Amino acid sequence: MTLTGWAELLAGGLITGGIYAVVAIGLNLQYGLMRIMNISHGEFLMLGAFLTWWAHTTWGGSPLAFLPVVFLALLVLGVAVHWLCFRPVAARAPNVDVFEARSLMVGFGLMFLVQNVALLIWGGDLRGYDYLAEPVQLAGMRFTPNKLVLFGVALVLSAALIVLLKATLLGKAVRALMQSPMGAQLVGIDTKRLHPLMFGIGLGLAGVAGGLLSMAYEISPSMGEPYTVTALIVITLGGFGSIAGSLAGGLLLGLVEALGMYFTSPSLKMLLSYAVFIGVLMWRPNGLFAR
Amino acid sequence: MNLSLFSSRPWLWLAAGTALAAALPWLASEFIASVVLSCLMYIALAVSWSTFCGATRYLSLATSAFFGLGAYSTAMLVDVLPWPLVVLAGAAVATVVAVAMGAAVLHLRGTYFAVLTFGMTELIRHAVTFVEKQVSGTVGRVLMVVPSEATVYLTVLLIAAGAIGCALWVRRSRFGLALAGIGADEQRAQTLGVHTRNAKLAGFALTAAFAGATGAAMAVRWTYIEPAAVFSPFIGFQTVLIALIGGAASIGGPVAAAVVFSLLAETLRLQLPYAYMVVLGLLLIACVIWLPEGLASLARRKGRVRP
Repeated sequence: MTLTGWAELLAGGLITGGIYAVVAIGLNLQYGLMRIMNISHGEFLMLGAFLTWWAHTTWGGSPLAFLPVVFLALLVLGVAVHWLCFRPVAARAPNVDVFEARSLMVGFGLMFLVQNVALLIWGGDLRGYDYLAEPVQLAGMRFTPNKLVLFGVALVLSAALIVLLKATLLGKAVRALMQSPMGAQLVGIDTKRLHPLMFGIGLGLAGVAGGLLSMAYEISPSMGEPYTVTALIVITLGGFGSIAGSLAGGLLLGLVEALGMYFTSPSLKMLLSYAVFIGVLMWRPNGLFAR
Repeated sequence: MNLSLFSSRPWLWLAAGTALAAALPWLASEFIASVVLSCLMYIALAVSWSTFCGATRYLSLATSAFFGLGAYSTAMLVDVLPWPLVVLAGAAVATVVAVAMGAAVLHLRGTYFAVLTFGMTELIRHAVTFVEKQVSGTVGRVLMVVPSEATVYLTVLLIAAGAIGCALWVRRSRFGLALAGIGADEQRAQTLGVHTRNAKLAGFALTAAFAGATGAAMAVRWTYIEPAAVFSPFIGFQTVLIALIGGAASIGGPVAAAVVFSLLAETLRLQLPYAYMVVLGLLLIACVIWLPEGLASLARRKGRVRP
């Protein structure tokens, strides 16, 4: 393979990895902060994709402009879902283990619910639209600009979130909650407001990731589940609760998949992902980057 | 179903119920027999699941893996072996895989365990799909010679009755106490001399054996076996759902929930598949929020069932 070929392969892996990172960061906020293993995360990604597609086909205009709206819409939805489903579960669970198991089951319920409501509304067909699909030449490599936009937005979002968590008072409160929920409450951090907000931000990120995906790929109501699984794999790679780890893990998994598929066969993609996932969970359950 | 009577004389009720259900294919219409068959299948899966997972609180999502393995072993062996051996082979394959899987993952708890068993199920499904495509050159298998419907029905009935009998026996045995001890506090159980590792492995293998046998027996109902159908994660979810909604710590609860769900599934799923799943999702959420200990806790709250 030529040098350009290699570069294209690796860049393609990084682009997929960027999306994985955004989806995984959203899931990681929910699990790292609240112990909610939200198995329905990918369904909200699908909702974001359909919202963007719907807005773009109804009103025209650049799908990029809709992304903030999609983010806000899913943030509000997330706060509502947290308030309706997870808050009562948290109130009744005797300890955090029981809460984890029950919120996992609620996640499965949400998955059935959201996916099938989408099927009822939009049907099971593949949908899509053309946006910046004309390939461009970049340092000898050929890309469609929509994938470059996708990668750029994904990176900027992930970086912004890491800065938010590291540099602001809100971020400090979130990190304190991740370290010790009890301690955070003792120093006056308002868990009751922070939990719904961070759950909403997590879903908002999933929605934006979905919106980005709709620019470059075809969408369908069943598109979410593989992304949930991938996000699970990524946060396992990067470590539960580590946002920077999720970014690194996402990019890494994108690369591994691209290389693995090139050297074996595309039908092995899911097999590869699951093998990585199970291997990491068994030998490094705290993530690859854990000290 | 009257849970209090069931709990005071469980063996009698089990024998009576089995005898009644055994006569059914000759009394009722074909449609009713098929509803009862799917009912029995979920009873076998949910009761055997809660025997281990309900007692120890290890949330396993691997039921579809064992079910699928059982179904696939039937697809390969049904032409070669006599029927009872085919079903036993399905159970054996599932048990072997469960022991290997359990040895690798049973030291993890909580979400890790749930997610890992789910991941392993998907891994097995993708591996079988890949092997079928690359090595055997097929995407599915057609079953040419299948036993009569009555044989299948009686087999599944026997498995379901076996699962209930086994659950009853486990609850009254030292082994059952060890499992319940692990569920209450694993370290304490260990300190009190329970060999937790072996107990968990044995429990997990027991669950898998029933799921494998059920898969092996139900496989012939499909006539066409493909990985996407028999390893469908939905079988695992529905099993967990039935056990949890019924109350995983009881036996009567999952049985009652299995009956309700098969009726719902058979009547709604064919006409309104999406609406059925929406209802399922809502029920699951509502159940976790308001009835976290399952239907059985309703009966217990009124003081009719011993805990």
